[in-house]
Amino acid sequence: SAVQLYLGGEFETSAEVLKFGLVLFESGFSLTDDPIVELETANNHGGGEAVTALELLQREKECGSITTFSSQLDRALKGGLPVGKVTEICGAPGVGKTQLCLQLSVDVQVPLSFGGLEGQVIFMDTEGSFVLQRVGDVAAAVVRHFSLVRCHDYVELLAELHLLPDFLRDQPRVRLLVIDSVAFPFRQQLDDLSLRTRLLQGLAQQLVSIATRHNIAVVITNQMTTRLQDSQSHLVPALGEIWGHASTTRILLQWEGSRQVAAIVKSPCCMDTAVQYHITSEGFRDVNQPENSDQPEIPLTERRSL
Amino acid sequence: MVPLQEGMCPGLDGDLLRSLLAADIRTVEDLVSSDLEDVSRKCSVSYKALFSIRRVLLAQHTAFPVSGADLYEELLSSTAIISTGNPSLDKLLDSGLYTGEITELSGGPGSGKSQVCFGVAVHVSLQLKQSVIYVDTTGGLTASRLLEMLQSETSDGDEQMEALQRIHVFRLFDAYSLRDCLSALRRGGLLQASGGGSVKAVIVDSVSAVISPLLGGKQNEGMSLMIQAAVALKTMAKDFSVAVLVTNHVTRGGGGGVQPGLGASWSHIPRTRILLERVDRAPSGCSSTLRSATLIKSSRQPCHIKEEFDLQRQSRSVRSSSGKRKRDEADS
Repeated sequence: SAVQLYLGGEFETSAEVLKFGLVLFESGFSLTDDPIVELETANNHGGGEAVTALELLQREKECGSITTFSSQLDRALKGGLPVGKVTEICGAPGVGKTQLCLQLSVDVQVPLSFGGLEGQVIFMDTEGSFVLQRVGDVAAAVVRHFSLVRCHDYVELLAELHLLPDFLRDQPRVRLLVIDSVAFPFRQQLDDLSLRTRLLQGLAQQLVSIATRHNIAVVITNQMTTRLQDSQSHLVPALGEIWGHASTTRILLQWEGSRQVAAIVKSPCCMDTAVQYHITSEGFRDVNQPENSDQPEIPLTERRSL
Repeated sequence: MVPLQEGMCPGLDGDLLRSLLAADIRTVEDLVSSDLEDVSRKCSVSYKALFSIRRVLLAQHTAFPVSGADLYEELLSSTAIISTGNPSLDKLLDSGLYTGEITELSGGPGSGKSQVCFGVAVHVSLQLKQSVIYVDTTGGLTASRLLEMLQSETSDGDEQMEALQRIHVFRLFDAYSLRDCLSALRRGGLLQASGGGSVKAVIVDSVSAVISPLLGGKQNEGMSLMIQAAVALKTMAKDFSVAVLVTNHVTRGGGGGVQPGLGASWSHIPRTRILLERVDRAPSGCSSTLRSATLIKSSRQPCHIKEEFDLQRQSRSVRSSSGKRKRDEADS
């Protein structure tokens, strides 16, 4: 940082920088050209407090999860989309990603007396795919606790996320943040791949930080891309392999023949499973299973290398 | 480069410090390497006072040599081998994680790095009854998964709760917090963080998530933060006799092979490196919980040996799993 370079010393903690900076001031030095790079905010980077795993367990139980109203998917996810974690939904165009996000925006607003989270939603739309009519189909009074942010390029998206913590401090009831989609602005406008990777990694950390600090379920949608491997082409989530580390849970929506399947391909607490779904006028729903099938979950028929 | 501070040694009070700063002497190195007569004239301080201050500072900041025999004795008495709870990994690691060293686990998304870290934390906390410090930078730590793993090892509820209480979690999401946290732990915060219990393992999941965004491009800070965090981890491992486990992502090298991330500078930091991969078996289309671990850097074993294990049953080796599964089915 500018302060470190100027003073030429090595500091172990930002507290020492503060102390040293103050000593300099007392002795009549003035750092004229370089402004003092936010010595106060630097001190907020403190190491943080440790919590025991037992306290974390209790907090997780209190946080709950957002049900998707597809009971099979909820069962596979052990309750629903977890609050306080980042979940990624990938899929080819038209498979139902935005529809699932809209469903979740409705589900999170279910009142506490009905077992819901009674939370508010921030919906960041980068593709322009959010159309009020679609929401109207899904539920009537959803827009009261709903904030829509339209981002036209990746700079706006990053800027919005930087300002979000301040916004969230005034709106403590937000329980869901949807970004639909993360891939679009980064694929269209960035040619420098290494810059893109760095920005995406910084974005990932910001999202995890927002999810944890403000107790919000962050849902991001991603597109698919083709990758050639061993002269065979596979459909894999876009934005590269490093982006795969960003989300805690990854759900892949895909077509298998004539069926629509939601596959959980990455999760800290659930095994890889796949459930069938379909999209009705009411939204994202289970497919009614015929009575003679005893296995509600179907195995993944094709190993996708991710 | 250690800055001069008030009270660092007797005789270095506020006034003297200010006059030294005015004479452009800001760090211990500056003072020790400067001409004391010159300085005493400029700051109007007695030569004797400066000389004694310099002697004390030199004594404080010098490294003392240790004989090889003493070093060997010390290592023999202080090093312990912590089993990971996973027999296949233990085989790769030459019986487990060695205290005083950094071991790295790298792998692509979904390859099982976090799951292995959970397994280690659960094993150390439950079986060895020692405290674990877990630094989570990805948000992937799910306490309910830890509980699930504990429940598969023991059915005693009290033991499970006690084991959960021995795992202390720090959640940080940027490189500066990581550096500050590790430095604080290194400077004696370990005991404080663990509430008095003896810490035997420190797990950082993952280092690359916070450092990679700062590497590359025109930024200079990334490397420096990475090395500062690495130094803090290494000295913590040595001074407190703990085993350090870190996770890393992978990048595709030339020729399509995967290699651990963070570049060549980081590759010297861990003593042992393991690469985790999914095992692609295509029977009946079932998605597999099998993972393969390859040893890519070790000072004790030949490299490139591979072991497979099942993420669901980490505490049992793959070969005996078929027998155990039958027994479990008979029980349930």
